[in-house]
Amino acid sequence: MSSAVISGVGVVSAFGVGSRIFFDSLAQGKSGVGPIRSFDARHFPVLVAGEVPVAGIDADFLKKELGESPGLDSFLAGWSEQGAFRDRKAAFALLAGVEAWRAARCGPAERSASVVLALGLEQALLQDFAACMEEGAISWKKVAAARPPISFRTEVDLSARLLTEWFDLKGPVVVNSSACAAGTMAVAQAAAMIDRGQASIVLCGGADSMVNPLGIGGMSRLGAPSPRADIDACRPFDRRRDGLVVGEGAAVFVVEAEEHARVRGITPLARVLGWATTQDGYRVTAPRPDGSCARKAMQLALKKAGLAPEQVQYINAHGTGTPLNDPAEARAIRDVFGAHADKIPVSSIKGAVGHLMAASGAIELAACLLAFERDLLPGTCNLKELDPDCPLAVIGPEPRAAKVDVVLSNSFGFGGQNASVILGRYS
Amino acid sequence: MKIAVTGWAWRTPLGNTVEEGMKRLLAGERAAREHHHFDASTFECRVAAPISGKPAPTKQAKFLKRMALFGVEVAREALQSGTGTQVPGDRVGVFFGYGGLRAEWEDLMPALAQQHESGKNGWNQGFQLLHPFWILRHLSNNSHAIAAEELQLTGEGVTFAGANAGAQAVSGAIAALRAGVIDKALVVAHDSLIEPETLVAFSSIASLATQSVAELVASYDARGTGYVPGEAAAAIILERADAAGARALAYVEAADSAGGQEGEPGRDTIAHALARVARGGVLVDGAGRGTGQWDGEERAVVAEFVGAEAPLVCTLGSMGNVGSASALVQLISLTSQLRGGELAPVAGLKHQGSSPLRPVLTRTSSTARCGIALCTGAPGLVGVIRVELPEDFRR
Repeated sequence: MSSAVISGVGVVSAFGVGSRIFFDSLAQGKSGVGPIRSFDARHFPVLVAGEVPVAGIDADFLKKELGESPGLDSFLAGWSEQGAFRDRKAAFALLAGVEAWRAARCGPAERSASVVLALGLEQALLQDFAACMEEGAISWKKVAAARPPISFRTEVDLSARLLTEWFDLKGPVVVNSSACAAGTMAVAQAAAMIDRGQASIVLCGGADSMVNPLGIGGMSRLGAPSPRADIDACRPFDRRRDGLVVGEGAAVFVVEAEEHARVRGITPLARVLGWATTQDGYRVTAPRPDGSCARKAMQLALKKAGLAPEQVQYINAHGTGTPLNDPAEARAIRDVFGAHADKIPVSSIKGAVGHLMAASGAIELAACLLAFERDLLPGTCNLKELDPDCPLAVIGPEPRAAKVDVVLSNSFGFGGQNASVILGRYS
Repeated sequence: MKIAVTGWAWRTPLGNTVEEGMKRLLAGERAAREHHHFDASTFECRVAAPISGKPAPTKQAKFLKRMALFGVEVAREALQSGTGTQVPGDRVGVFFGYGGLRAEWEDLMPALAQQHESGKNGWNQGFQLLHPFWILRHLSNNSHAIAAEELQLTGEGVTFAGANAGAQAVSGAIAALRAGVIDKALVVAHDSLIEPETLVAFSSIASLATQSVAELVASYDARGTGYVPGEAAAAIILERADAAGARALAYVEAADSAGGQEGEPGRDTIAHALARVARGGVLVDGAGRGTGQWDGEERAVVAEFVGAEAPLVCTLGSMGNVGSASALVQLISLTSQLRGGELAPVAGLKHQGSSPLRPVLTRTSSTARCGIALCTGAPGLVGVIRVELPEDFRR
């Protein structure tokens, strides 16, 4: 069993900024999915998203959310001038990271912290293109001559840079780009660093946003999102499911060695008991239908945690609501848990907040904390009729009261990268 | 527990096989040439070190761009180059590193050419013209996924991003091997700094060479103003030393650090990574960023760990800065030089200068058995690889 514990969490989601509103909304069975507002999506095939309910993100908004803090004004102004917050996920990472850091009562003494963040696509800054176009193509001469220099994209590690600079962190920085499994892997990597003695405290998690013309446009052309414009567009494990809903947001955790937390006088939120990753080695676009590699990820995580399958009391599924993912995951879960799968409550929060892509595993691990915080298991928003091809004890739309001690969260990403993490109640 | 490298492959500006690349490196060649990928005449940096040739035609091209295709090619070749006991696919881990998504905006032109600056009516103005696979071609882990699929590898797997992602991929693989969750690791990194959008991005945060090819200044020359952007794809196979036995080409360690600086890492950040793996009496393959002041500082801080008289080579000075692929390219180069007993000259360098460490000026015989490779990048990132020849290796 790992010695890593989670001692702080911060969340930005379709419900708003902060873990409180996230937990409150899940506890009430709400959905944050709604019409896209942050850009003109009227003619796009996809009209709804799990969009963070803030149309424009700028330094003023961040200052209001983060509150007074010495040096914050110049920090935000400097990054704003560089256009950092045009990439929504960078702002989300900063908000969630600050919340987690404060919740874990971290300060200057924790500056040795490492950062492991799951990050998605670099943000294409489409608004910069217009001035550089010439007869339907980019004029690189115009680009070279532009002053100030043009930014076509944000850096892949921009979110990590914001956090390391704001907290003046000195530890290694790892950017995990393992697609939809990245957020889960980031937490696993943090715990592994703790166990190997490479770090005593790590700021980790994920941030992503594809709720922009290129993200929604690209996903629409691929055909992954539900074509329906209804707020129940994503229906994990439902017989009528027809695709995912794109979400955005961030979840960041402070993970540290249990002894480190004890010395600091912090009561952890949870233990990180075990984890594992595998690869499907199958197809970029589809999960392995028999779920065998997803199954192995769960089995290896159980082995790492030193647990028997019967000891797992809740599973937060990847549960994308796509026709292919959910039955494959259900098959994998049944293969691991056998008859016990009839009893383990399973749910997916993607119907409520959308698919946060690189950050999905992170926000779903945050949702697992609801079980320890409030003795509630999140519901599966929009589930009305369980698909017989997904024979699991899936929780319906309403959260379920239950006191559990061991929970497992799955992330099975595009490209077939699988990750499972097991959390335990801290007592 | 020692971890051994047992196979490798690369595509570099000096050659598409390790043999060809090492031959030209040892000959003191420099891969820089006038930029020909696009019209760079108005860019400050007009030189580049490109890979020669194109990826082999493959049906995977519908999902992968040029560098990712090179990545899959070297992954396949590296796995084939390592002999020994067959390891089941579920015991082979895959660890990829890449610098970032080189979005290659030309792909987006059909979608963007008619867009209003306001984004109004964006779908009808062009986004509907995006290729259905556009998002897959720009998926952060697409080359990783295709390699795992083609090679039927289903063990642990992580994709890293950033300037030191190659070193982190090596670290991740070593950790997984030591933890016993896999028996073999395929580590791959690919990166290109020579695309126009990359040059635009880097021109504001890094020092790129501004001279013509004829006027280029060598790494570790005090007059240097910046590096030559390059590109590479490289792959290695790692195994536990006891399993590798006589197949071990070298034993490998890796470390990385970050300092949060906007540009190149500072002294403390370099020292932090070196402290974890560097020990005295070694050959050094420096980052050689090509700016006189930074190169001098690099030599000074490295000398604190290995001694002022350690010989200094510079693979990246010959091949150009190959971004996140640097760590793997340097690992292969350093190991090859140690095994061959010959050190490559720092291409174009005429004088050692007064800073610590002794840059190699001509092809030189060596009895060194271990070495460290230092690679750096923005923002403030460092990777260090240490290689050591097996005790029973005789040249």
